[in-house]
Amino acid sequence: MNPNLESAISAFAGSAALTSLFIILALIGTLNPYHRPAIPVLGASTVILASTYLFAKTVGIPADNVALRMTMSEGVFALLDILSIIFLVSTFMFLQASLRKRPEDPLLALLESEPGTE
Amino acid sequence: MSPWAAQVWLGMAIAVIGISMHRTGPAFRRHLFGAPVALLGLTVMLFRVEEPPQPELEVVAAAIEAAMWLLPALAGSTLVLMGAPLYWRTRLLPLLVGWALIVVAWYQYYSTMSVVLSDTIRWVSALLGAVLAFAVFALCVRTAERMTPQEPETEGLSEKERKYVESVLRRHLEVADEP
Repeated sequence: MNPNLESAISAFAGSAALTSLFIILALIGTLNPYHRPAIPVLGASTVILASTYLFAKTVGIPADNVALRMTMSEGVFALLDILSIIFLVSTFMFLQASLRKRPEDPLLALLESEPGTE
Repeated sequence: MSPWAAQVWLGMAIAVIGISMHRTGPAFRRHLFGAPVALLGLTVMLFRVEEPPQPELEVVAAAIEAAMWLLPALAGSTLVLMGAPLYWRTRLLPLLVGWALIVVAWYQYYSTMSVVLSDTIRWVSALLGAVLAFAVFALCVRTAERMTPQEPETEGLSEKERKYVESVLRRHLEVADEP
């Protein structure tokens, strides 16, 4: 298989699996009486298993415990890669927030323009 | 799986659980434990007696390498948000220190990470993978919500509750009327 395609599929499967794992962990961390986590946990687990299978088929290894760990590791590398993009977008948003100026309030301007209003 | 490999994943799991404790809603009381639990998770993940096997060894190495720019990035972002005029009040010192840390983070990123054009395909694939995971989660949440039986209509306020609401409204309206 083309190495670029293999790398892309690994990143896709890894990030899908790791994001689903994070979703399950977040559900555990925020468990409360109003939660109905059974179906979301089932869905996230299905994504993890399907991603592991896809990764194992792509790399040519059996879909077992080692494949699951390798898929999760690929997910860590892939998510660390896209953190830089998120930080780039955040930097632009911080720049906008830092240079923010209070907009002119038309009502306050009207109040100030009227004589005898101090 | 060796215990050292399990330690890496256990640490990561504890860290993610700790981070997710920082939220509002019914589990809000747990937010005090969020930071200590997250730090415990990172400690379990990064400090070990023996080296973990592959691929966990690479995961730990990548996490430590990323921390070189992620830590100043996180600290800088927090300070910028504290100092920026989000509510029309600028706090100059946190703002300037925050921007200095963000510049340091970007410098660290370009000095430690090697970015090549072919990485773009990996980035897009990783984003699509994360989007797929969130989409499946959203669909599952919608399904779970639809399967939840409707609760009966809420009863009206009792006399005691009505008086309490009236007193709160009156108090606030009176305050608003003051010059």
